[in-house]
Amino acid sequence: MAGQLKDREAYQRLNYLYQAAHCVLSQNPENVELSRFYSFTQKTIARRLVLRQDPSIKRTMCKKCCSLLIPGVTATVRQRRKNRKTRFTVMRCISCGQSKSLLNNPDYSLWADQPEAQLQPQKQTGPGSSGEKQHKKTKPGESVSSQSSASTQQQQSISSSSGNKD
Amino acid sequence: MEEALVRAPIPPDLRKILGVESKTSSKAEAFTRAFLKNSMQRTSKHDLDSMLSYKAVILGFTRPQKDKSKRSSKRAKGLSAKQKRKMKVFQIKPEHQRYELFLPLHELWRQYIIDLCGLKPTSSPQSVQQKLLKADFHGAIITVVRSKCPSYVGTTGILVQEFKHVFKIITKEDKLKVIPKRNSVFEVEINGFISHIYGSKFEQRASERSAKKFKVKGTIDL
Ligand SMILES: [Zn+2]
Repeated sequence: MAGQLKDREAYQRLNYLYQAAHCVLSQNPENVELSRFYSFTQKTIARRLVLRQDPSIKRTMCKKCCSLLIPGVTATVRQRRKNRKTRFTVMRCISCGQSKSLLNNPDYSLWADQPEAQLQPQKQTGPGSSGEKQHKKTKPGESVSSQSSASTQQQQSISSSSGNKD
Repeated sequence: MEEALVRAPIPPDLRKILGVESKTSSKAEAFTRAFLKNSMQRTSKHDLDSMLSYKAVILGFTRPQKDKSKRSSKRAKGLSAKQKRKMKVFQIKPEHQRYELFLPLHELWRQYIIDLCGLKPTSSPQSVQQKLLKADFHGAIITVVRSKCPSYVGTTGILVQEFKHVFKIITKEDKLKVIPKRNSVFEVEINGFISHIYGSKFEQRASERSAKKFKVKGTIDL
């Protein structure tokens, strides 16, 4: 499958840039500027070639200043509660202050992970985030741990995830 | 005693569950330093200074009322050019310009290029060059081979940033050099395969090169 993928080089480039941004930060956690530059390049390439990026990647990038969001290094992660039932994980970018909040819902799966998405490729894939339903049985601890572990796994297997998208 | 607890390495069974590993002390210290710096409350004194020195401040009784219409839109707007300039979004600070810090990046780049081009002795140079045209060069070690300005010739270093008209490279002497692309020829070496880049033909942003189609033949005047 990966052989006849149309924009294989571009996907490899995006993958490399994402890894490079991580690499720079792991070498020197204060060099936010360079990591941001790579993420910014990644974002502009994806925009020019109209390639969709996986939600796991988009969730680790700041929408405003394009820097990589790594909990404790470039972002703060907090648990917030709206009312008794709904809880959110709020990620706040340290350098620009933009925050993004995700609903804690262990039952939620992205549209791309659902079996329907694989069966009908000709159908227009809807935006995954808007389909979030509020479930009653949300326990913040569980959902957060599942979220974060999933994201780290996806970071490691990013080459496969970006390759399998089409 | 509590401090010893904090500094203790993660027990092996926990390490497996969490999927994390202890880092070397130097790396751990770098992380701790950055973490503390980020976690500290920013003092507003610095902002105050710059505000007082550049702007006329009107002293009044009333506090400025919060603009309610502005608060309603929570969407990220992106930064304006002015904000970008003020934040220095892409400028590498002088204390981070150290050659050794970028060696892992170069190693990553090598893997990427080898994976991309499938470098074998049998593969034709044309196909490799076709792929290199759209590849990313951040992290490559480049050398200026020819240039209209002789003082650039021979400069070697890891390319850290590529802009529309310049390459920013970091040399072994921990110097950040800005080299214009126009009228220079660069050399990139991967596993014995040497490729030349004509900077005059490369005068685009790093992100634009992916989408652009290159003409097969063009006049090269250098
Ligand atoms: Zn940000």
